[in-house]
Amino acid sequence: MRDLVIGMAGSGGDGIVSAGESLIAACAAEGYHALMTKSFGSQIRGGESSCRVRLGVAPVLNPGGALDVAVALNWDDFLKFGSELPVAGNTVVVYDSATGIAPDALPLEGIDPAAVFAVPIGEMARKSAGTEKAKNTVVLGLLAGWFGIARDGILRGIRKKLAKKGPEVLAANERAFQSGIDYAAAHPLDSPRTIDRPGQATKKLIVDGNDICAAAAIFSGCDFFGGYPITPSTEVMQLLGRELWKYGGAVLQAEDEIAGIGSALGASFAGKKAMTATSGPGMSLKTEILGLASIAELPLVLVDVQRGGPSTGMPTKSEQGDLFQAVFSANGDVIRPVLAPTCVADTFAVTVEAFNLAERYQTPVVVLSDQEIAQRKEVIDPIDTSRFTIVERVRPRGAELEPYVRFRQTESGVSPLSHPGMKGGNYLAAGIEHNERGEPTAGGAAHAKMTEKRFRKFAPLKTREDLFRIEGDPNARLALVSWGSTAGVCREALRLARADGLSVKLLVPWLLYPVADGVYRSFFASVKGGLVVEQSYQGQLYRLLKMFTDVPAGVQPLCRAGANPFRPTEIAAALRDIALSLQRQAGDARQPQE
Amino acid sequence: MTSLCTLTAKDFKSDLKPIWCPGCGDFGVVQAIYRALAAIGRPPHQIAFVSGIGCSSRIPGYTTAYGFNSVHGRALPIAQGIKIANPELLVLAAGGDGDGFSIGGGHVPHAIRRNVDLAYIVMDNQIYGLTKGQLSPTSPRGLRTVSSAFGSLENPVNPLSYVLAYGAPFVAQGTPADLPALAAVIEQAIRYPGFAFVNVQSPCVTYGEEEQQIKAHKARMKPLESLGHDPSDLVNAFRLAQDYGTELYTGVLYRNPDPSPTLDSLMRERQQKMSEGALPRERILELFAQS
Repeated sequence: MRDLVIGMAGSGGDGIVSAGESLIAACAAEGYHALMTKSFGSQIRGGESSCRVRLGVAPVLNPGGALDVAVALNWDDFLKFGSELPVAGNTVVVYDSATGIAPDALPLEGIDPAAVFAVPIGEMARKSAGTEKAKNTVVLGLLAGWFGIARDGILRGIRKKLAKKGPEVLAANERAFQSGIDYAAAHPLDSPRTIDRPGQATKKLIVDGNDICAAAAIFSGCDFFGGYPITPSTEVMQLLGRELWKYGGAVLQAEDEIAGIGSALGASFAGKKAMTATSGPGMSLKTEILGLASIAELPLVLVDVQRGGPSTGMPTKSEQGDLFQAVFSANGDVIRPVLAPTCVADTFAVTVEAFNLAERYQTPVVVLSDQEIAQRKEVIDPIDTSRFTIVERVRPRGAELEPYVRFRQTESGVSPLSHPGMKGGNYLAAGIEHNERGEPTAGGAAHAKMTEKRFRKFAPLKTREDLFRIEGDPNARLALVSWGSTAGVCREALRLARADGLSVKLLVPWLLYPVADGVYRSFFASVKGGLVVEQSYQGQLYRLLKMFTDVPAGVQPLCRAGANPFRPTEIAAALRDIALSLQRQAGDARQPQE
Repeated sequence: MTSLCTLTAKDFKSDLKPIWCPGCGDFGVVQAIYRALAAIGRPPHQIAFVSGIGCSSRIPGYTTAYGFNSVHGRALPIAQGIKIANPELLVLAAGGDGDGFSIGGGHVPHAIRRNVDLAYIVMDNQIYGLTKGQLSPTSPRGLRTVSSAFGSLENPVNPLSYVLAYGAPFVAQGTPADLPALAAVIEQAIRYPGFAFVNVQSPCVTYGEEEQQIKAHKARMKPLESLGHDPSDLVNAFRLAQDYGTELYTGVLYRNPDPSPTLDSLMRERQQKMSEGALPRERILELFAQS
């Protein structure tokens, strides 16, 4: 097998998430790719917790569909995660026999799993390690034993992790791990499911979307972060709070979302690269200053990690419902670039691009991440940072300072930008409309010119084909368009559909707005039917595209509310249906009319 | 920092013509700021002057400093971001009573507790002038305005006790009726190492009450110095602050003789302490490398 999806659930104290982390660390060390998502009940402590780990010998694009392996330390907790941990006919179910549930009476209505193992997990932990706390280590032993996953890597990981806790704890956990392996050996699977060995083990990174976003900010030269804690974006601030000082930068945990973006805009005015991060409701609060950044033409990066909405919505669940907010919020007639990463590794490139666009066009830029990407850990290949360039704002020099005209009408629409401390660059930044010199005005002519300037400067952005990923058959009549975390599901769906004999292609925009009309037109030129796939009820990207470009009539939205992730197989199936109907239409067209 | 050439008040005056009504108290405030800045001697390009929205928030544009006339109520967060980003700058924030104590009131306590080194000048006229005469947070109870036809039913905010209560280390009050004294307290506020607050009773000639005009101020004002107030006496400062709305005290109400370090200096210390052994920015991803 090239790929394995494991889902585990237990109570808060069972160490399920910790087991998942050990597992992906071991996989990384052995050269596998992996992806882990966590999910918790709404309690602060305790309650139920779960994780999904997908490992593969090739890069893992999404959390996958139905589980290959389901581990339930107790069924109540497992079942609370519902569609997040789907058990199907090919699933191997492993559960603690202490739950008292008979293998033929599992609480899985209508599902007949491939194999079921009632394992005395708690008892094995007590016997081998003297404590039930080692249940998660027993589970790791079972997984290593049955599925051939990274046995040595896990053992090394256990040793590293527990070295601090002393030789007794370590020895106890090693025994617990071995007991799992022994159990698996004594109770083999009827049809073995051993995952393939990865190729040459290369050094890997283990990181989630929020952490890599913060790292990208540091790489890009960010010197200031102002923000306010909000799930699921807070880790961006937390990482910067540990690291940014080392580079002479500063992090301000502000009194509210508004002060977070306000302080960041102040830092940008002062000449530094600055960022703020938030999630939906915080984005709502920040929008007035987003508009201020647009009219004052100051660079600023705003990361919005989308969660279920509106309002408080579902803070720990993913949804792609903030696209309209990112594009259209803040009053007035203005545009700002909106970018979206599609996976953890992408988040680095997209965040660097956001800083570059902010500096180049003196504008706020929104990075529209989502909870799924932001909080899932991925094992990825190292990123060659030497292929990125770092853009700095154009600053006035020489004659441009004699006298300095802050909002000078240039051909590009971008005017050199000074900052306090620069002699001769003094000007008034303002939320008030202004003339070229920055003097307040209420004149219609000046406003028209400045508005046009603020649009004109983005013209080159619409030709940035490198901000789009196109895969598949270039002349396909069948197409997928998707963005954010859903794009990773579509990439796999594309492969499934092509393996199934369909000719299909996929367009994934990093740049969501302004809509790059030309890129879509040329992509859609061969297209007769397809899907725009996204996790929002109204299909916000689909509607945005309908507004700003021509979408072929046969391309329809495939969208639904958040916290119900798409599965590659369902998208592939939907594509097959469209392909059939296109075939029928073509057939009908050839029939002579009666 | 010393400057080689001597600066005069004129060097801080911009060419922009103020939008203020003739006789507005803010003309006096901007004059006092020119004088204070000239006395301090930092060249205009080393000064960042931030405001929110309102008549008085136009003030940065009337100076030659780097100005930022931002959005309503947000001068303080922006000013703090500027100061943290570049502690070398002299940072001023200003605005009206509505800007500072109504829409932006939530930012004041936090600027105070952080003790970012900046001076915050509020032009308090107890009315909303730019929107043509509505109640402001410092309007007295009973005041009839276009938004309170039958008289205000609310107590006013007391800016002096507000900032004292949150621990502001420097609190002063002034009026354009005594320009030299106003310039002097603004200068002291700017020189004070930490968050310094100046409440300026700045008359609104168009919508303000008779007893809030320059002429009345001249008759009413009481220099704290003449009352024998010791600015390091916090308890007496609190007591005097209670007279806001009835008495017009001018001068330094409170000056903490032993201020805590400023946030910007503490941040700089942390940056210096942590700079050693950092991964170069281009190798930051090594943070996530598996050993």
